[in-house]
Order: sequence, then C-alpha cells, then structure tokens
Amino acid sequence: MTDQEHLERAYRRLLGWYPREFRDEHGPEILAVLMAGAPGGKRRPGLAESTDLIRSGVWLRLRPGVPRSARTVRAAVRFMYAGAAVSTVNLVIFLALTGDIGARHAILGYRLTAAQVSQLLNPLAITEAVVLALVPVALWLWMARETGRGRNWARGLSTVLFALATLSLSSVIPQPVFNITFVPAVRLSFVPLLGPAATVLTWLAGAAAVWLLWRPASTAFFRPPGYTQARHRAQMAEFDHQAQMAELVRFRARLPRRV
Amino acid sequence: MATRAMQEATFMILTALADGAQHGYGIITDVRDISGGRVRLRAGTLYMALDRLRSDELIVPDREEVVDGRLRRYYRLTPAGTTLLADEAARLQAHAAVALRRLNVAGGMAT
Repeated sequence: MTDQEHLERAYRRLLGWYPREFRDEHGPEILAVLMAGAPGGKRRPGLAESTDLIRSGVWLRLRPGVPRSARTVRAAVRFMYAGAAVSTVNLVIFLALTGDIGARHAILGYRLTAAQVSQLLNPLAITEAVVLALVPVALWLWMARETGRGRNWARGLSTVLFALATLSLSSVIPQPVFNITFVPAVRLSFVPLLGPAATVLTWLAGAAAVWLLWRPASTAFFRPPGYTQARHRAQMAEFDHQAQMAELVRFRARLPRRV
Repeated sequence: MATRAMQEATFMILTALADGAQHGYGIITDVRDISGGRVRLRAGTLYMALDRLRSDELIVPDREEVVDGRLRRYYRLTPAGTTLLADEAARLQAHAAVALRRLNVAGGMAT
C-alpha cells in the first residue's frame, strides 16, 4: 500500500465519526481537502487534525439542528446540554476524588476505619456509582437531541423526568448524589459538597429547559402529530387544487390555437 | 438577525468567497494567505462552518468539479451573505479606525 492509500484509509476511518447523512453528502469533498493539504510521504493524520475531525463529527451528531427562529427551543436545548455538562463534571470530580477518600474525610472531620475505606474503594461500588452517574448524562443528551428535532413526545418525557428529579430532590438534599450501597454513616459524607451543588445546578437547568419548552413560542415548534397531519392534508388538497387549476389554464390556452 | 459579533473564522470564510466561488481547499489556502498565515482552518472546522453558513442561507453550493478523481464542490455567497459580510466589514473598520486614531492621539506610537 502506498503512503497515500495508507493516509486515505486513516482519513476515511476518522470520517466514520460523522453522521451518515453528512458523510454521504460531504465525505468526498472533505477527503479531497484533507488529501490536498497533506504533504507527500505523509502516512498518518496528525493529532490536531484527528481531534478536529472527531470533535466536528461528534458535534454534528449531537447538534440539535433547531432552526434559529425557534429561539425558546434552542435555549431549552442549551440548558439540557448544560445539565449534561454539570453531570459529567460531577462524575469526573467524583472519579478524581475516589483515590483520596480517606484523606478527604479526615479533613472534613470524619475518621474512616480501614474497613470503611476499603468498602468505599471497592471496584464494584465505584463501577456502580459511575454507571449510575452516566444515566443522567445519557438522558440529558438524548432529550436534548430529540426535543431539538421537534419530537413532541420528548417534550413530554423531559417534563416527566424533570418531575421525577424534583420528587427525588427532597431526599437528595441532605444526602449525596451517589446514595448507593455504602454504610449509612459513610454515605452521608461521600460526596459532601459537590453532590447537592450538582443536583441543585442540574435541577435549575431542568427547570429552565422545561419552562422554555412549554412557552407558547415552543408549542408552535412542537406541533402535535394530529395537527401536522391535518395541515399536511390541507396543504396537499390545496396543491392538488392548484395543479388542477394550472392544468385547466394550460388546456384552455391550447384550445384557441387548435381551433 | 443577531447583532453578536461574527467569529473570525466565519468572517474569513465569507471574505474568501467575496470575489467568487471557491472549493474547500481553495478557501483554506485563501484564508491562510489573507491572514498572513495566522488563520489556518482545519477541514473539520471548515465543513462545520460551511454547513452552518449554508443552513443560515449565507452561502450556497455553486458547482462541482472532479479533479484527479477528487470531488471539488464550489460555494458562493448568497445576497444575504454578501450583505452580512459588508455590514460586518464596515463595523470592524469603524472599530479599527477608532482604535488607531486613539493610539495616535495618546502616544503617537501607531502609524
């Protein structure tokens, strides 16, 4: 395989990060740009170049594609992304702190026994906490995507999820987010500050998003299916009518010439 | 239309298209030349920007060519894109003029 073929294959693999419809439309020209910019003898994409392609591909996949006119929905989607970001940061900080758990608790005035520390650092418990923390991130991103596409069910489901989050808020405030299978005394101080802060922040993001989703301007964007169909049928009937009229006009225009 | 300042990359891409249609790699080299080598667009960034500009109806595909077996799609400004670029250029020029004038008055350093 020549250097060029090798490089082209690597670029094609990177383009796999793009959504299919975008790749079908722009893949060949992007590849042409990448190959044109590559000096001879280059065999593999650079790090910055790869990062740029992956980042753009991921962004295009997540992009809500809400038209600029639907400003309230765009804002709601941004709040959902903010919610996902806070949840992610929460998870990252949680992971960063797990190694240091004994020291951190000592600062806060808790003395953990060696048994408690080892219980907290049990890989199963950490995995469980991570998975539990990934669920809200996934939900945020999913809701952002589907509401951004104008799916009315996603608006309803977002609202239900927000209601559930509100119900669990009262139980969360005195407790950390990761209230899993730890011994009760330790559980209280597992994520002492961050848990409630993240919960309150994400709740606020959710509140803002839901409020925006039910604004009259948003409702115009989320047309219920029945409305769309009725409108569609009306449009089709109008179109047929226009087509018939046009046909009639053409027919009449032909008549005198033949006579 | 939002009154927010245009991003530099967007401004440079529209500028590259201001005197005629160009294809992706043409835009990249042109932007590099215009900016004296300072702004180097990467393919991913460029096509995200082109996609956005297209959905905002500031640019449209012009034509396609195949050169050495590679597809080149040319893009050109729409009337809306031309107007927006002209407005933004005028705004930047006004700001730059004020900055240069004040620098001259204050220190006599700027040329």
